[in-house]
Amino acid sequence: MWRQWLLVGVSLVTSVIVQVTLLSRLGLPGATPDLTLVTVIALAFALGRMAGAASGFVGGMVLALAPPATTTLGLQALVFMAVGFIVGGLIDPRDRTVPITIAIVSGSVAGATFVVAVFDALLGLASVPWNRMGGLLVASALYAAILTPLVIPGIGRLARKLEPVKTTVIGS
Amino acid sequence: MKSSRIRVILVALVIASITVLILDLRGGRGPFSGVRTVAESIAGGLERAAATAFSPITGAANWWSTVRDQSGQIQALTAENEKLSTQLRQQVNDAGRVAELDGLLKVASVGGYTIVPAEVIAVNPVQDFSWTVTIDAGRNDGIEQDMSVINGQGLVGRVLKTTATTATVVLLVDPSSAVGARIAGSQEIGIVSGTGEQDVLEYQLLDPRADVRTGDALVTFGSKGGRPFAPGLPIGEVTQVQGTAGQLTRIAVVRPYVDISRLSIVAVVTRPPRSDPRDSVLPRVTVTGSAAPIPVTDGSTPAPLTLGGSASPTPTPSVTELAPSVATPSPNLLQPSPAG
Repeated sequence: MWRQWLLVGVSLVTSVIVQVTLLSRLGLPGATPDLTLVTVIALAFALGRMAGAASGFVGGMVLALAPPATTTLGLQALVFMAVGFIVGGLIDPRDRTVPITIAIVSGSVAGATFVVAVFDALLGLASVPWNRMGGLLVASALYAAILTPLVIPGIGRLARKLEPVKTTVIGS
Repeated sequence: MKSSRIRVILVALVIASITVLILDLRGGRGPFSGVRTVAESIAGGLERAAATAFSPITGAANWWSTVRDQSGQIQALTAENEKLSTQLRQQVNDAGRVAELDGLLKVASVGGYTIVPAEVIAVNPVQDFSWTVTIDAGRNDGIEQDMSVINGQGLVGRVLKTTATTATVVLLVDPSSAVGARIAGSQEIGIVSGTGEQDVLEYQLLDPRADVRTGDALVTFGSKGGRPFAPGLPIGEVTQVQGTAGQLTRIAVVRPYVDISRLSIVAVVTRPPRSDPRDSVLPRVTVTGSAAPIPVTDGSTPAPLTLGGSASPTPTPSVTELAPSVATPSPNLLQPSPAG
Protein backbone atom coordinates (compact mmCIF):
# COMPACT_ATOMS: atom_id res chain seq x y z
CA MET A 1 0.00 0.00 0.00
CA TRP A 2 2.68 2.50 1.02
CA ARG A 3 4.49 1.90 -2.23
CA GLN A 4 1.44 3.12 -4.09
CA TRP A 5 1.42 6.32 -2.11
CA LEU A 6 5.14 6.72 -2.70
CA LEU A 7 4.50 6.42 -6.43
CA VAL A 8 1.65 8.94 -6.20
CA GLY A 9 3.74 11.44 -4.24
CA VAL A 10 6.96 11.16 -6.20
CA SER A 11 5.35 11.18 -9.62
CA LEU A 12 3.13 14.16 -8.82
CA VAL A 13 5.87 16.29 -7.27
CA THR A 14 8.12 15.47 -10.24
CA SER A 15 5.42 16.35 -12.74
CA VAL A 16 4.68 19.69 -11.05
CA ILE A 17 8.38 20.59 -11.00
CA VAL A 18 8.85 19.60 -14.64
CA GLN A 19 5.73 21.52 -15.59
CA VAL A 20 6.77 24.84 -14.06
CA THR A 21 10.51 24.67 -14.70
CA LEU A 22 10.52 23.14 -18.16
CA LEU A 23 7.17 22.97 -19.95
CA SER A 24 5.91 26.45 -19.16
CA ARG A 25 9.34 27.97 -19.80
CA LEU A 26 9.32 26.61 -23.34
CA GLY A 27 6.72 29.27 -24.11
CA LEU A 28 4.59 26.97 -26.26
CA PRO A 29 1.70 28.71 -28.00
CA GLY A 30 -1.81 28.62 -26.56
CA ALA A 31 -1.38 26.82 -23.26
CA THR A 32 1.09 25.07 -21.00
CA PRO A 33 1.07 21.27 -21.27
CA ASP A 34 -0.74 20.12 -18.14
CA LEU A 35 1.64 17.35 -17.15
CA THR A 36 0.31 17.27 -13.60
CA LEU A 37 -3.24 16.46 -14.63
CA VAL A 38 -2.09 13.90 -17.17
CA THR A 39 -0.08 12.22 -14.39
CA VAL A 40 -3.18 12.26 -12.16
CA ILE A 41 -5.12 10.55 -14.93
CA ALA A 42 -2.33 8.03 -15.43
CA LEU A 43 -2.38 7.21 -11.72
CA ALA A 44 -6.18 6.87 -11.83
CA PHE A 45 -5.90 4.48 -14.78
CA ALA A 46 -3.24 2.42 -13.02
CA LEU A 47 -4.55 2.39 -9.46
CA GLY A 48 -8.30 2.82 -9.75
CA ARG A 49 -10.71 5.60 -8.99
CA MET A 50 -10.10 5.83 -5.26
CA ALA A 51 -6.35 6.34 -5.65
CA GLY A 52 -7.18 8.52 -8.66
CA ALA A 53 -9.25 10.85 -6.51
CA ALA A 54 -6.52 10.99 -3.86
CA SER A 55 -3.90 11.66 -6.55
CA GLY A 56 -6.01 14.47 -7.92
CA PHE A 57 -6.21 16.02 -4.48
CA VAL A 58 -2.45 15.74 -3.94
CA GLY A 59 -1.61 16.96 -7.45
CA GLY A 60 -3.88 19.99 -7.21
CA MET A 61 -2.45 20.92 -3.82
CA VAL A 62 1.19 20.56 -4.91
CA LEU A 63 0.50 22.62 -8.04
CA ALA A 64 -1.07 25.42 -6.00
CA LEU A 65 1.76 25.38 -3.44
CA ALA A 66 4.83 25.24 -5.68
CA PRO A 67 6.16 28.69 -6.63
CA PRO A 68 5.40 30.72 -8.69
CA ALA A 69 1.75 29.74 -8.20
CA THR A 70 -0.32 32.39 -6.47
CA THR A 71 -3.68 30.68 -6.88
CA THR A 72 -6.01 29.91 -4.02
CA LEU A 73 -5.45 26.49 -2.50
CA GLY A 74 -8.13 23.86 -2.93
CA LEU A 75 -9.82 24.68 -6.22
CA GLN A 76 -7.47 22.74 -8.44
CA ALA A 77 -7.40 19.97 -5.84
CA LEU A 78 -11.18 19.69 -6.02
CA VAL A 79 -11.36 19.66 -9.81
CA PHE A 80 -8.39 17.29 -10.27
CA MET A 81 -9.91 15.00 -7.64
CA ALA A 82 -13.17 14.84 -9.59
CA VAL A 83 -11.20 14.06 -12.75
CA GLY A 84 -9.23 11.30 -11.00
CA PHE A 85 -12.36 9.73 -9.58
CA ILE A 86 -14.36 9.84 -12.80
CA VAL A 87 -11.54 8.68 -15.07
CA GLY A 88 -10.46 5.91 -12.71
CA GLY A 89 -13.84 4.23 -12.85
CA LEU A 90 -14.89 5.22 -16.33
CA ILE A 91 -13.84 2.26 -18.37
CA ASP A 92 -12.62 -1.27 -17.88
CA PRO A 93 -8.84 -1.37 -18.32
CA ARG A 94 -9.14 -4.21 -20.81
CA ASP A 95 -11.30 -2.10 -23.12
CA ARG A 96 -8.91 0.81 -23.06
CA THR A 97 -7.50 1.13 -26.55
CA VAL A 98 -5.03 3.82 -27.48
CA PRO A 99 -7.51 6.15 -29.24
CA ILE A 100 -9.95 5.88 -26.33
CA THR A 101 -7.19 6.64 -23.84
CA ILE A 102 -6.08 9.70 -25.76
CA ALA A 103 -9.67 10.88 -26.10
CA ILE A 104 -10.28 10.49 -22.37
CA VAL A 105 -7.08 12.30 -21.42
CA SER A 106 -7.57 15.21 -23.86
CA GLY A 107 -11.23 15.57 -22.99
CA SER A 108 -10.64 15.58 -19.27
CA VAL A 109 -7.72 18.02 -19.44
CA ALA A 110 -9.72 20.48 -21.56
CA GLY A 111 -12.77 19.98 -19.35
CA ALA A 112 -10.80 20.50 -16.14
CA THR A 113 -9.14 23.64 -17.55
CA PHE A 114 -12.56 25.02 -18.42
CA VAL A 115 -14.10 24.16 -15.05
CA VAL A 116 -11.17 25.73 -13.18
CA ALA A 117 -11.54 28.87 -15.33
CA VAL A 118 -15.28 29.04 -14.61
CA PHE A 119 -14.71 28.73 -10.86
CA ASP A 120 -11.85 31.25 -11.05
CA ALA A 121 -14.25 33.72 -12.67
CA LEU A 122 -17.17 32.93 -10.33
CA LEU A 123 -15.08 33.25 -7.19
CA GLY A 124 -13.17 36.24 -8.54
CA LEU A 125 -9.80 34.50 -8.14
CA ALA A 126 -8.41 35.55 -11.49
CA SER A 127 -9.45 37.62 -14.46
CA VAL A 128 -10.09 34.98 -17.08
CA PRO A 129 -9.45 35.95 -20.71
CA TRP A 130 -12.60 34.45 -22.23
CA ASN A 131 -11.74 35.67 -25.72
CA ARG A 132 -8.73 33.33 -25.74
CA MET A 133 -10.47 30.45 -23.99
CA GLY A 134 -11.18 28.50 -27.19
CA GLY A 135 -7.54 28.45 -28.22
CA LEU A 136 -6.47 27.64 -24.69
CA LEU A 137 -8.75 24.60 -24.50
CA VAL A 138 -7.78 23.30 -27.93
CA ALA A 139 -4.09 23.75 -27.17
CA SER A 140 -4.30 22.06 -23.77
CA ALA A 141 -6.23 19.12 -25.26
CA LEU A 142 -3.62 18.78 -28.00
CA TYR A 143 -0.69 18.90 -25.58
CA ALA A 144 -2.45 16.38 -23.35
CA ALA A 145 -2.80 14.05 -26.33
CA ILE A 146 0.92 14.39 -26.99
CA LEU A 147 1.78 13.73 -23.35
CA THR A 148 -0.46 10.66 -23.14
CA PRO A 149 1.88 8.10 -24.78
CA LEU A 150 4.79 9.54 -22.80
CA VAL A 151 3.17 9.35 -19.38
CA ILE A 152 0.33 6.80 -19.22
CA PRO A 153 2.32 3.61 -20.10
CA GLY A 154 5.24 4.59 -17.89
CA ILE A 155 3.12 5.18 -14.81
CA GLY A 156 1.15 2.00 -15.54
CA ARG A 157 4.33 -0.07 -15.76
CA LEU A 158 5.71 1.44 -12.55
CA ALA A 159 2.46 0.72 -10.75
CA ARG A 160 2.47 -2.91 -11.87
CA LYS A 161 6.07 -3.31 -10.84
CA LEU A 162 5.48 -1.89 -7.39
CA GLU A 163 2.18 -3.63 -6.69
CA PRO A 164 1.97 -6.65 -9.00
CA VAL A 165 -1.17 -8.19 -7.56
CA LYS A 166 -3.40 -5.31 -6.76
CA THR A 167 -3.19 -3.18 -9.88
CA THR A 168 -6.35 -2.23 -11.73
CA VAL A 169 -8.51 -4.05 -9.22
CA ILE A 170 -8.91 -1.43 -6.54
CA GLY A 171 -12.14 0.45 -6.59
CA SER A 172 -13.23 -0.76 -9.97
CA MET B 1 -11.96 -1.78 -1.59
CA LYS B 2 -15.49 -1.63 -0.23
CA SER B 3 -17.80 0.96 -1.70
CA SER B 4 -18.75 2.31 1.70
CA ARG B 5 -15.12 3.02 2.49
CA ILE B 6 -14.65 4.63 -0.90
CA ARG B 7 -17.54 6.92 -0.18
CA VAL B 8 -16.15 7.92 3.21
CA ILE B 9 -12.69 8.74 1.81
CA LEU B 10 -14.16 10.60 -1.13
CA VAL B 11 -16.43 12.70 1.06
CA ALA B 12 -13.49 13.43 3.37
CA LEU B 13 -11.36 14.59 0.43
CA VAL B 14 -14.13 16.79 -0.96
CA ILE B 15 -14.75 18.37 2.42
CA ALA B 16 -11.00 18.86 2.94
CA SER B 17 -10.49 20.66 -0.37
CA ILE B 18 -13.59 22.84 0.02
CA THR B 19 -12.52 23.78 3.55
CA VAL B 20 -9.03 24.67 2.32
CA LEU B 21 -10.54 26.66 -0.53
CA ILE B 22 -12.86 28.64 1.72
CA LEU B 23 -10.19 29.33 4.33
CA ASP B 24 -7.68 30.39 1.71
CA LEU B 25 -10.24 32.54 -0.12
CA ARG B 26 -10.46 34.86 2.86
CA GLY B 27 -7.07 36.19 1.88
CA GLY B 28 -4.42 37.81 4.02
CA ARG B 29 -2.22 35.67 6.17
CA GLY B 30 -4.58 32.74 6.38
CA PRO B 31 -4.07 29.55 8.36
CA PHE B 32 -2.07 28.09 5.51
CA SER B 33 0.68 30.69 5.36
CA GLY B 34 2.93 28.42 7.44
CA VAL B 35 2.24 25.41 5.24
CA ARG B 36 2.75 27.56 2.17
CA THR B 37 6.10 28.87 3.38
CA VAL B 38 7.44 25.38 4.06
CA ALA B 39 6.06 23.96 0.81
CA GLU B 40 7.41 26.88 -1.19
CA SER B 41 10.89 26.50 0.27
CA ILE B 42 10.98 22.78 -0.55
CA ALA B 43 9.51 23.22 -4.02
CA GLY B 44 11.77 26.22 -4.63
CA GLY B 45 14.86 24.12 -3.90
CA LEU B 46 13.66 21.38 -6.20
CA GLU B 47 12.88 23.92 -8.90
CA ARG B 48 16.37 25.41 -8.68
CA ALA B 49 17.89 21.96 -9.20
CA ALA B 50 15.46 21.13 -11.98
CA ALA B 51 16.03 24.43 -13.76
CA THR B 52 19.75 23.75 -13.79
CA ALA B 53 19.16 20.29 -15.21
CA PHE B 54 16.76 21.61 -17.86
CA SER B 55 18.85 24.63 -18.79
CA PRO B 56 20.17 23.08 -22.03
CA ILE B 57 16.59 22.50 -23.22
CA THR B 58 15.20 25.87 -22.20
CA GLY B 59 18.31 27.53 -23.56
CA ALA B 60 17.82 25.81 -26.90
CA ALA B 61 14.15 26.78 -26.95
CA ASN B 62 15.10 30.35 -26.24
CA TRP B 63 17.71 30.29 -28.96
CA TRP B 64 15.21 28.83 -31.42
CA SER B 65 12.60 31.48 -30.74
CA THR B 66 15.32 34.08 -31.27
CA VAL B 67 16.44 32.55 -34.54
CA ARG B 68 12.92 32.17 -35.88
CA ASP B 69 12.23 35.86 -36.32
CA GLN B 70 15.76 37.01 -36.95
CA SER B 71 15.31 38.49 -40.42
CA GLY B 72 12.46 40.72 -39.28
CA GLN B 73 14.47 41.60 -36.25
CA ILE B 74 17.50 42.67 -38.27
CA GLN B 75 15.38 45.08 -40.29
CA ALA B 76 13.72 46.50 -37.22
CA LEU B 77 17.05 46.84 -35.47
CA THR B 78 18.68 48.58 -38.42
CA ALA B 79 15.85 51.10 -38.55
CA GLU B 80 15.98 51.55 -34.82
CA ASN B 81 19.74 51.94 -34.91
CA GLU B 82 19.51 54.79 -37.40
CA LYS B 83 16.83 56.50 -35.39
CA LEU B 84 18.81 56.11 -32.19
CA SER B 85 22.08 57.38 -33.60
CA THR B 86 20.30 60.51 -34.82
CA GLN B 87 18.80 60.92 -31.39
CA LEU B 88 22.15 60.34 -29.77
CA ARG B 89 23.77 63.10 -31.77
CA GLN B 90 21.05 65.46 -30.68
CA GLN B 91 21.37 64.40 -27.12
CA VAL B 92 25.04 65.21 -26.72
CA ASN B 93 23.98 68.79 -26.33
CA ASP B 94 21.18 67.96 -23.90
CA ALA B 95 23.43 65.75 -21.83
CA GLY B 96 25.56 68.70 -20.84
CA ARG B 97 22.51 70.57 -19.62
CA VAL B 98 21.23 67.53 -17.77
CA ALA B 99 24.54 67.02 -16.02
CA GLU B 100 24.46 70.64 -14.95
CA LEU B 101 20.95 70.29 -13.63
CA ASP B 102 21.69 67.03 -11.86
CA GLY B 103 24.63 68.68 -10.18
CA LEU B 104 22.23 71.33 -8.99
CA LEU B 105 19.88 68.70 -7.63
CA LYS B 106 22.69 66.70 -6.02
CA VAL B 107 21.67 63.61 -7.90
CA ALA B 108 24.62 63.54 -10.22
CA SER B 109 26.36 60.22 -10.66
CA VAL B 110 23.62 58.35 -8.92
CA GLY B 111 22.26 56.95 -12.15
CA GLY B 112 23.11 53.39 -11.15
CA TYR B 113 20.57 51.14 -9.60
CA THR B 114 21.94 48.76 -7.03
CA ILE B 115 20.84 45.42 -8.34
CA VAL B 116 21.03 41.70 -7.67
CA PRO B 117 21.08 39.60 -10.84
CA ALA B 118 18.96 36.46 -10.96
CA GLU B 119 17.67 33.91 -13.40
CA VAL B 120 14.09 32.87 -14.07
CA ILE B 121 13.76 29.22 -13.05
CA ALA B 122 10.03 28.59 -13.21
CA VAL B 123 7.02 30.10 -14.93
CA ASN B 124 3.39 29.83 -13.98
CA PRO B 125 1.33 27.73 -16.40
CA VAL B 126 -0.80 29.74 -18.83
CA GLN B 127 -4.02 28.16 -17.60
CA ASP B 128 -3.47 29.66 -14.16
CA PHE B 129 -4.31 33.09 -15.58
CA SER B 130 -1.74 34.82 -13.42
CA TRP B 131 1.57 36.01 -14.82
CA THR B 132 4.17 35.11 -12.25
CA VAL B 133 7.67 33.65 -12.43
CA THR B 134 10.13 32.29 -9.90
CA ILE B 135 13.69 33.59 -9.81
CA ASP B 136 16.70 31.93 -8.23
CA ALA B 137 17.51 34.64 -5.70
CA GLY B 138 15.77 35.07 -2.38
CA ARG B 139 16.03 36.49 1.09
CA ASN B 140 19.60 35.23 1.41
CA ASP B 141 20.56 37.51 -1.46
CA GLY B 142 18.94 40.52 0.10
CA ILE B 143 15.70 40.32 -1.84
CA GLU B 144 12.59 41.51 -0.10
CA GLN B 145 8.97 41.86 -0.95
CA ASP B 146 7.96 44.74 -3.24
CA MET B 147 11.27 45.34 -4.96
CA SER B 148 11.33 46.22 -8.64
CA VAL B 149 12.54 43.58 -11.08
CA ILE B 150 14.15 44.74 -14.31
CA ASN B 151 16.11 43.35 -17.21
CA GLY B 152 18.17 44.95 -19.96
CA GLN B 153 15.05 46.19 -21.70
CA GLY B 154 13.12 47.69 -18.82
CA LEU B 155 10.71 46.96 -16.00
CA VAL B 156 9.73 43.33 -15.60
CA GLY B 157 7.59 43.41 -12.47
CA ARG B 158 7.81 43.37 -8.71
CA VAL B 159 8.69 40.81 -6.06
CA LEU B 160 5.52 39.33 -4.58
CA LYS B 161 6.95 36.95 -2.01
CA THR B 162 10.26 35.39 -1.11
CA THR B 163 11.69 32.21 0.29
CA ALA B 164 15.29 31.86 1.47
CA THR B 165 16.60 30.99 -1.99
CA THR B 166 13.84 31.91 -4.45
CA ALA B 167 11.41 34.74 -5.04
CA THR B 168 8.11 34.97 -6.87
CA VAL B 169 7.78 37.90 -9.26
CA VAL B 170 4.49 39.34 -10.53
CA LEU B 171 5.01 40.44 -14.11
CA LEU B 172 3.89 43.78 -15.47
CA VAL B 173 1.28 42.12 -17.69
CA ASP B 174 -0.53 40.39 -14.83
CA PRO B 175 -4.08 41.76 -14.55
CA SER B 176 -3.49 42.59 -10.90
CA SER B 177 -0.40 44.69 -11.62
CA ALA B 178 -0.59 48.50 -11.60
CA VAL B 179 2.35 50.88 -11.92
CA GLY B 180 2.45 54.64 -11.63
CA ALA B 181 4.00 55.92 -14.84
CA ARG B 182 4.81 59.14 -16.60
CA ILE B 183 5.48 59.96 -20.19
CA ALA B 184 9.18 60.56 -20.59
CA GLY B 185 8.91 63.82 -22.51
CA SER B 186 5.80 65.57 -21.27
CA GLN B 187 5.78 64.29 -17.67
CA GLU B 188 2.09 63.42 -17.86
CA ILE B 189 1.33 60.93 -15.12
CA GLY B 190 -1.03 57.98 -15.11
CA ILE B 191 -1.40 54.35 -14.22
CA VAL B 192 -0.18 51.42 -16.28
CA SER B 193 -2.06 48.22 -15.61
CA GLY B 194 -1.70 44.72 -16.98
CA THR B 195 -4.37 43.18 -19.15
CA GLY B 196 -3.39 39.54 -18.91
CA GLU B 197 -2.25 39.60 -22.53
CA GLN B 198 1.41 39.22 -23.28
CA ASP B 199 2.09 42.36 -25.29
CA VAL B 200 -0.60 44.73 -24.12
CA LEU B 201 -0.63 47.13 -21.19
CA GLU B 202 -3.19 49.82 -20.50
CA TYR B 203 -2.20 53.34 -19.58
CA GLN B 204 -4.85 55.42 -17.92
CA LEU B 205 -4.06 59.13 -17.87
CA LEU B 206 -4.90 61.17 -14.83
CA ASP B 207 -5.22 64.37 -16.84
CA PRO B 208 -7.88 63.84 -19.51
CA ARG B 209 -6.54 66.69 -21.62
CA ALA B 210 -2.99 65.42 -21.65
CA ASP B 211 -1.22 65.17 -24.94
CA VAL B 212 -0.31 61.56 -25.68
CA ARG B 213 1.02 60.35 -28.95
CA THR B 214 1.85 57.01 -30.42
CA GLY B 215 5.49 56.28 -29.79
CA ASP B 216 5.67 58.08 -26.45
CA ALA B 217 7.88 56.26 -23.96
CA LEU B 218 6.68 55.53 -20.44
CA VAL B 219 8.89 55.33 -17.36
CA THR B 220 7.99 54.54 -13.78
CA PHE B 221 6.95 57.42 -11.63
CA GLY B 222 8.57 55.84 -8.61
CA SER B 223 6.94 54.82 -5.37
CA LYS B 224 7.63 56.09 -1.87
CA GLY B 225 11.01 54.77 -0.84
CA GLY B 226 11.45 53.17 -4.23
CA ARG B 227 9.05 50.35 -3.43
CA PRO B 228 7.51 48.59 -5.16
CA PHE B 229 8.79 50.59 -8.09
CA ALA B 230 12.02 52.54 -8.35
CA PRO B 231 11.75 55.78 -10.33
CA GLY B 232 12.76 56.14 -13.94
CA LEU B 233 12.56 52.53 -15.10
CA PRO B 234 11.46 52.19 -18.71
CA ILE B 235 8.07 50.47 -19.05
CA GLY B 236 6.95 50.58 -22.65
CA GLU B 237 5.86 52.51 -25.68
CA VAL B 238 2.41 53.88 -26.53
CA THR B 239 1.10 52.06 -29.58
CA GLN B 240 -2.43 53.36 -29.70
CA VAL B 241 -4.41 56.13 -28.03
CA GLN B 242 -8.08 55.59 -27.36
CA GLY B 243 -10.51 58.44 -26.80
CA THR B 244 -10.10 62.08 -27.67
CA ALA B 245 -8.58 64.82 -25.56
CA GLY B 246 -10.99 66.02 -22.89
CA GLN B 247 -12.81 62.71 -22.61
CA LEU B 248 -13.31 61.69 -18.98
CA THR B 249 -11.10 58.62 -19.06
CA ARG B 250 -8.42 58.33 -21.65
CA ILE B 251 -6.63 55.09 -22.17
CA ALA B 252 -3.55 54.40 -24.22
CA VAL B 253 -2.45 50.95 -25.26
CA VAL B 254 1.17 50.34 -24.34
CA ARG B 255 3.55 47.68 -25.57
CA PRO B 256 6.01 46.72 -22.84
CA TYR B 257 9.71 46.93 -23.70
CA VAL B 258 10.29 43.62 -21.98
CA ASP B 259 9.52 40.50 -23.98
CA ILE B 260 7.76 38.40 -21.36
CA SER B 261 8.02 35.19 -23.37
CA ARG B 262 11.82 35.33 -23.40
CA LEU B 263 12.60 36.23 -19.82
CA SER B 264 15.82 34.69 -18.66
CA ILE B 265 18.25 36.92 -16.80
CA VAL B 266 16.64 39.59 -14.67
CA ALA B 267 17.85 41.90 -11.92
CA VAL B 268 16.17 42.92 -8.69
CA VAL B 269 16.62 46.57 -7.74
CA THR B 270 17.64 46.37 -4.12
CA ARG B 271 18.20 50.09 -3.93
CA PRO B 272 16.83 52.72 -6.27
CA PRO B 273 19.18 55.43 -7.56
CA ARG B 274 17.79 57.98 -5.16
CA SER B 275 15.16 57.66 -2.53
CA ASP B 276 13.81 61.16 -2.75
CA PRO B 277 15.47 63.53 -5.19
CA ARG B 278 13.85 66.59 -3.67
CA ASP B 279 15.35 66.00 -0.27
CA SER B 280 18.85 65.74 -1.62
CA VAL B 281 18.96 69.49 -2.16
CA LEU B 282 18.48 70.13 1.52
CA PRO B 283 21.54 71.78 3.13
CA ARG B 284 22.31 68.81 5.35
CA VAL B 285 23.72 66.98 2.38
CA THR B 286 27.35 67.96 2.22
CA VAL B 287 29.11 68.25 -1.03
CA THR B 288 31.00 65.14 -1.95
CA GLY B 289 32.41 63.79 -5.14
CA SER B 290 32.80 65.77 -8.29
CA ALA B 291 29.49 67.55 -8.28
CA ALA B 292 29.53 71.32 -8.12
CA PRO B 293 28.51 73.01 -4.88
CA ILE B 294 24.83 73.56 -4.70
CA PRO B 295 23.41 77.01 -4.39
CA VAL B 296 20.84 76.55 -1.65
CA THR B 297 18.70 79.62 -1.52
CA ASP B 298 16.54 79.55 1.59
CA GLY B 299 17.77 76.41 3.25
CA SER B 300 14.44 74.61 3.57
CA THR B 301 12.76 73.72 0.35
CA PRO B 302 14.25 73.84 -3.07
CA ALA B 303 13.11 76.59 -5.33
CA PRO B 304 10.58 75.21 -7.80
CA LEU B 305 12.66 74.08 -10.69
CA THR B 306 11.02 74.60 -13.99
CA LEU B 307 12.10 71.49 -15.71
CA GLY B 308 9.46 71.46 -18.39
CA GLY B 309 11.15 74.07 -20.50
CA SER B 310 14.35 72.30 -21.29
CA ALA B 311 14.63 69.80 -24.07
CA SER B 312 14.75 66.57 -22.10
CA PRO B 313 15.17 67.19 -18.39
CA THR B 314 14.80 63.59 -17.28
CA PRO B 315 16.44 61.21 -19.65
CA THR B 316 15.13 57.69 -19.55
CA PRO B 317 17.81 55.47 -18.10
CA SER B 318 19.77 53.97 -20.86
CA VAL B 319 20.38 50.29 -21.23
CA THR B 320 23.88 50.62 -19.91
CA GLU B 321 22.60 51.86 -16.60
CA LEU B 322 20.42 48.81 -16.27
CA ALA B 323 23.02 46.32 -17.36
CA PRO B 324 23.61 43.73 -14.69
CA SER B 325 26.87 45.16 -13.51
CA VAL B 326 26.19 45.71 -9.88
CA ALA B 327 26.47 49.43 -9.57
CA THR B 328 28.29 50.79 -6.58
CA PRO B 329 26.36 53.54 -4.94
CA SER B 330 27.92 56.96 -5.14
CA PRO B 331 28.97 58.86 -2.04
CA ASN B 332 25.76 60.87 -2.23
CA LEU B 333 23.66 57.76 -2.10
CA LEU B 334 25.39 56.46 0.97
CA GLN B 335 24.34 59.39 3.02
CA PRO B 336 21.03 58.93 4.75
CA SER B 337 18.26 60.89 3.24
CA PRO B 338 16.90 63.42 5.75
CA ALA B 339 13.32 62.35 5.20
CA GLY B 340 14.20 58.70 5.53
